[in-house]
Amino acid sequence: MARELTVTLRPLPSRLEGLDRSAPVWIIAAAALLLLMLLPLGWLGYLSVSGEGGLTLAHYARVFTDARLQKALWNTVVLAFWSALLSLAIGAPMAWLTARTDLPGKRVIRGLVMASFVTPPFLGAFAWVMLAGPNAGYLNKLYRGLSGAEAPLLNIFTMPGLIFVVALYTFPYVYIMIVNTLELIASDLEEAASILGASRLWVALTVTLPMVAPAILSGFILSVLQALALFGSPAILALPAGFHTITTQIWALFQYPPKVEMAAAFSVPLLLATALLLFLQKKLLGRRGYAAVGGKGGQRRQIALGPWRQPALVACLAVMACAIFLPYGILAKAAFSRAWAQPLTWDNVTLGNWSFTFLSISTQTAIVNTLELGILTACVGAGLATLLAYITNRRLIVGHQLLAFLALAPVVIPGVVLAVGLFIAYTRPPFLLYGTLWILFLAYLTKEMPVGYSQSDATFRGIHPELEEAGRILGAGRLRVLGEITAPLARSGIIATWCFIFIGVIRELSASILLFTPNTKVMSVVIFDLKEEGQFGAIAVLGLFMLAVTFLAVVLMQTLLGRDVLGARPSGGSG
Amino acid sequence: MPGVSIRGLRKRYGDVAAVDGLDLEVKPGELVALLGPSGCGKTTTLRVVAGFLAPDSGEVWVGDRCLSSPATVIPPERRRMGMIFQSYALWPHMTVAQNVGYGLRFSKDGRRGVPRSERDGKVTEMLRVVQLAGYEQRYPGELSGGQQQRVAVARALVVEPEILLLDEPLSNLDASLREEMRFEIRRLHETFGITTLYVTHDQSEAMVISDRVAVLDQGRVAQIGTAEELFERPRTRFVAEFIGKTNLIEGTAERSDIFVRGPLRLRVFDANLTPGPVVLSIRPHQIALGPASLAPPSSAGENVLRATVLRASYLGDAVDYQVQLDGGDLVLRVAGPVTRRFRPGDAVALTVLQCSAVRL
Repeated sequence: MARELTVTLRPLPSRLEGLDRSAPVWIIAAAALLLLMLLPLGWLGYLSVSGEGGLTLAHYARVFTDARLQKALWNTVVLAFWSALLSLAIGAPMAWLTARTDLPGKRVIRGLVMASFVTPPFLGAFAWVMLAGPNAGYLNKLYRGLSGAEAPLLNIFTMPGLIFVVALYTFPYVYIMIVNTLELIASDLEEAASILGASRLWVALTVTLPMVAPAILSGFILSVLQALALFGSPAILALPAGFHTITTQIWALFQYPPKVEMAAAFSVPLLLATALLLFLQKKLLGRRGYAAVGGKGGQRRQIALGPWRQPALVACLAVMACAIFLPYGILAKAAFSRAWAQPLTWDNVTLGNWSFTFLSISTQTAIVNTLELGILTACVGAGLATLLAYITNRRLIVGHQLLAFLALAPVVIPGVVLAVGLFIAYTRPPFLLYGTLWILFLAYLTKEMPVGYSQSDATFRGIHPELEEAGRILGAGRLRVLGEITAPLARSGIIATWCFIFIGVIRELSASILLFTPNTKVMSVVIFDLKEEGQFGAIAVLGLFMLAVTFLAVVLMQTLLGRDVLGARPSGGSG
Repeated sequence: MPGVSIRGLRKRYGDVAAVDGLDLEVKPGELVALLGPSGCGKTTTLRVVAGFLAPDSGEVWVGDRCLSSPATVIPPERRRMGMIFQSYALWPHMTVAQNVGYGLRFSKDGRRGVPRSERDGKVTEMLRVVQLAGYEQRYPGELSGGQQQRVAVARALVVEPEILLLDEPLSNLDASLREEMRFEIRRLHETFGITTLYVTHDQSEAMVISDRVAVLDQGRVAQIGTAEELFERPRTRFVAEFIGKTNLIEGTAERSDIFVRGPLRLRVFDANLTPGPVVLSIRPHQIALGPASLAPPSSAGENVLRATVLRASYLGDAVDYQVQLDGGDLVLRVAGPVTRRFRPGDAVALTVLQCSAVRL
């Protein structure tokens, strides 16, 4: 899961020490990178071109000529494009309303968007199956009951259905990007237009819009990237409808007997596409990582919506109903019902789902695995990220920019592609890790490193180097300064890094689904298994448990950092 | 109390030479200001002296110890220096007392750290000196900008450093506080007598606080001297224009003390001009203004010129004139007292009391 890395950067003057103690650090870093990224990707590339008699392009040829596979490619493009467009259509207006106008209940809306951000998309997909499945879907039943019609109103098992669900959990990325940009723009530019007679809408379209255009495009690209890499939602909604996307196709190729070379050949174009898109996004935003805007910055005054206040609020709440209220509601209902499709009467209520789920040995093992892996990955990941971020921030070694780049590079690799690479690399000597939890650990560590690194990076950017220099000139050595001055100031940031990584691991599916074995299941995989058995009650229970753990970590992080996941400070101002 | 000697310092960032051959001698107990526009290399120089940067070439000596050279840099913690940063760099997670007392724990090259029992006493005493008595248990976040600054000063002074470095410490304060703190810092310097390097871009601050001012231009010292020397006798064009206002006139040196430009002929006192092109710098207040009718006849020792007032701007404590010399198109700025004011169009006589020749 690639999180948007919007951090506001303060340029710091160069403090290069010129002391080259690089050798041990580079050896460790190189070994880590080799293990995590280069080895899997190298094997991936190699296997995609290896055949019976040596190097061949036969696999690629099949990928691009096989009609089935071509269809999967096309479906992926359609899904990515339209879900990104829909995310834009939802996220941009909501961002504008929250950041620029006097919309009521802004804090609530913001909190709900954040909840949508941390909700695992595949849980949302499950919930929407229960809401809008053609036969037993709750909304369809309501519709049939009210209108007496035979045919369902909604069928979630379609491409539009998939696009809809994907957009519901991707739009927060667009929202974050645009909100952060809007908060940098002073109101005077818009007020200048208003004074000249432009209406609110006209001002929004002709003044605000062009200034946030880079952020909008960037958010669009980011949404496309998310959609490309998703596995859970397509697997839940597309497969029953009879079509594939690239990710589900790769997964299908892995089912017994695994056609690994084909999977590799399929993965490489996906990887290249993601790399290209990220490159484009970086170009759009320039070096600073957020959209640069004109004007001097300054006071932001709210635009009065007038008669549009209530309708705007209703619209926002309607979106959040689709993303949060309805899905969470149906999950809660299913968790406590004997038969989730039946109405919630007293004899339907049961705690049986809970006992069934938590008393099952395999589920217990999976929960333990998930929590173990979450804690381990978070500890190692936070430690590594902190070390790397400190080294690059204080420019301690030559070539620190390369280290930073490598720490962020995994964001380019979709989960399934990473899994394929890891599978290939670690099912052969000397590292036979497949079948153990270690291969999952490696997958999670690689995948979450970019998020961990950018949070640590932001932490150290917030600690002015002069704070450390002041200690040194007073007589404290480097290590003492680190322990007495830097560490206490970085503590809450490091814990936030830990939480980010932990949350990412808990909800990870696309890599886990290819790397698990019967003994090494994690929660997300178990939920997926339960789908095969139609155990919606158990799915709901586990899903709610997963959400509870996630929200606990989020609350912890929020309390520590004093700001929410989306990066806002809960101060007055824009509310 | 040792002095600081910077010899031939050079430091590059990429292909930009931040410091390009800088030589500076700071006498023991002296306060020297490094003054210059942004990009002139003053902060880089300070950071090399502090030990945070290594020189590309050149050396930094303190007393008889060489602290920095391209080969070795003694780390900052062993230099026995104190530094006050532009951002104050107070540690937000420590109280004022913990901030100020931090450096007292460490032993420095032969001098042992202060035992705990004495530390508190020293901290309290220093806080009293900077007029923050009673603030020991506050946190930096609870203090105003001026108070934070004084804590930073206390923290640097309490360890009795041999050398004190200040990096634009007043630039984050508002104007009135800045004026007050200038005198505070000067008072502290006179009390403790520590050899000090003070970086600033504000010339009036430099002139009030320091014993001597070194004006930096593009990584080198353009001129070093007392405020009076710099003001009255600037040696380069840059210094003449950077410090205060000036009139710069290009012309020729006829003899060792005569400046000629067209019909304009001036006597330059205490000058040793080589015949050839030269630029003259005349400060607006170095010209006396009087009505043309009362002008003394031009005689040896007097530079009297006739001119007409173009514009007069009343500034409250002075009047800023623009006058055009008769017989030419030269326009000079003159500062006159408010007691005797002239209006545009008045015929006046200028007496040039002082001027200096600057390098082209």
